[in-house]
Amino acid sequence: MSFTYNGVEIDDTYAEGFSMWGSRIVITAASRKWADTAAQTMTGYATSVIACDCEAGLERELAPSETQDGRPGRAVMVFGFSKEKLAASMLARIGQCVLTCPTTAIFNGVEKAESEALLEVGKSLRFFGDGFQTKMRINDGLGERIRFWRIPVMEGEFLTEEKYGAKKCVAGGNFLLMGREEASTLDAAERAIEAIHTVPFVVTPFPGGLCRSGSKVGSKYAFLKASTNTPFCPTIKHSLRDSKVPEDANSVIEVVLNGFTEPAVKRAMGAGIKAASSVKGLARITAVNFGGKLGKFKIGLKDCLEGMP
Amino acid sequence: MKEVRLRLREKPNPPLEADTITPDAFSGKTLDQVKELPVYLGNRLGKLCDYFDIFGETSEKASDMLINVLGDTAQVKYIGTKMTAGKVVVEGNAGMHVGAQMTGGEILVQGNVDDWAGTEMSGGLMRITGSAGNHLGSAYRGSPDGMTGGCIVVDGDVQWECASFMRRGMVVIRGDSGPFLGAHMNGGEIFVFGRAAKRLGASAKGNGGFIACLGEVEALLPTYVYDSIYQPMFMKLYLRKLANELGVKEAEKFINASFKRYHGDLAAGGTSEIFVAS
Repeated sequence: MSFTYNGVEIDDTYAEGFSMWGSRIVITAASRKWADTAAQTMTGYATSVIACDCEAGLERELAPSETQDGRPGRAVMVFGFSKEKLAASMLARIGQCVLTCPTTAIFNGVEKAESEALLEVGKSLRFFGDGFQTKMRINDGLGERIRFWRIPVMEGEFLTEEKYGAKKCVAGGNFLLMGREEASTLDAAERAIEAIHTVPFVVTPFPGGLCRSGSKVGSKYAFLKASTNTPFCPTIKHSLRDSKVPEDANSVIEVVLNGFTEPAVKRAMGAGIKAASSVKGLARITAVNFGGKLGKFKIGLKDCLEGMP
Repeated sequence: MKEVRLRLREKPNPPLEADTITPDAFSGKTLDQVKELPVYLGNRLGKLCDYFDIFGETSEKASDMLINVLGDTAQVKYIGTKMTAGKVVVEGNAGMHVGAQMTGGEILVQGNVDDWAGTEMSGGLMRITGSAGNHLGSAYRGSPDGMTGGCIVVDGDVQWECASFMRRGMVVIRGDSGPFLGAHMNGGEIFVFGRAAKRLGASAKGNGGFIACLGEVEALLPTYVYDSIYQPMFMKLYLRKLANELGVKEAEKFINASFKRYHGDLAAGGTSEIFVAS
């Protein structure tokens, strides 16, 4: 079953999302350059929990007027399979990539009302101060009290909030762009990523947001828990019986996204598919699922496009 | 908000002790019941209506109650003491202990306040458009803790021993401060935009407490040690809050300022901080 959208054939299928704990951190710095540097370093090697400790990505750039200290900022989102694993990854990554980065400070980026748990990441980070850390409170007895830690560093002082909000999120949103040649497929994928990043509270953890290998659970090798998504590899489409690559497709790129909520992921997928479908040379769009065995979220491609302007 | 207005008929002598002028005491009562609330003139028990003309409408909840106090109430003590919610506006001077031990709500004094204002407050906001006497936001004698929360903003000057024994909360002085500002403080934040008199931070312990001096400093105690000059990131957060939420516009010009950091009071083994804008 399929339908046509902007002249592109789209499978009437769904992306299978699964639940992960997620958090959002706002990194500020003296300039965009250093906010970006810290954010990119912190979210490096965090594409997939298949082999990384967490999944993470850049959410959006924040203008000085949007940050607590009035400096340029970057929001990043981090996802883990449990609150404990998420907290451990955040602690390690902030400690090694943000605390070390010149001029940075970090703030909780999750609204209190939205948080299902508070991770005491800053409370653990404070020990880097080796006893010279200073606690700080704001709004004591006047509004909602927020606690911070000031940690002395060689360059000056690192400021972190004590607690970071976390909530159950949606990971594994995806769609596959199948093009007639590599160039048009990549062009469509790039446009999709650009459109996805206009939707708040969504990240694309893979390089540039794109996963060219795809992945499937297991492999013929007992020691390998995941392998490339061979049914979608065009170069071997006639070498295996269950190939899912259409005859006219010669390149496939997967767009993978995680978000705070199912509606956010759905909206981002819709925006991405719409943008990609404007590229000539795109043969088909589909999505990866495991028949409901992986996760509880079934994000239909048709549903994503409903209501798209 | 429902409003009750109190107009003082004549200046009492000796001072009137009126700890019943709070939204908590007024709410849930009829206006007639409010008029019967007890007050003391010296050792003589009286009624609120013996000294004030009272009119307006009461609310069911303290948080919906606004009390407007008119006339020169410099001889009326304990206005707003122990209040938990609502708002009190004093259109003139207020006597001693205004807002003492308050836990919430807001007090606005459109004039000066006498000694012990905001003593041991733990929540809420007190604004004083004039100046304050001694012991603003401090601890009562013998008490280990002064302010444990809330915020006091004084547009004018403050006298001796402001915010002594402070544990948490914030005091903002837009004018000058008297001696012994923040003595024995063990937490909390104090901002002085005018001249800070000597012996500030005497015997301060630490616990994240600091005094930010944004104007002249008369002298620092020798038991405070200079560390370095830098632009503390956390200071931006406070200064932005002062400028944007508390109307202290002069804070804006210090957002990117450098501060000299001193720590002490070493005489008390303290790790408190004094930041001096440079």
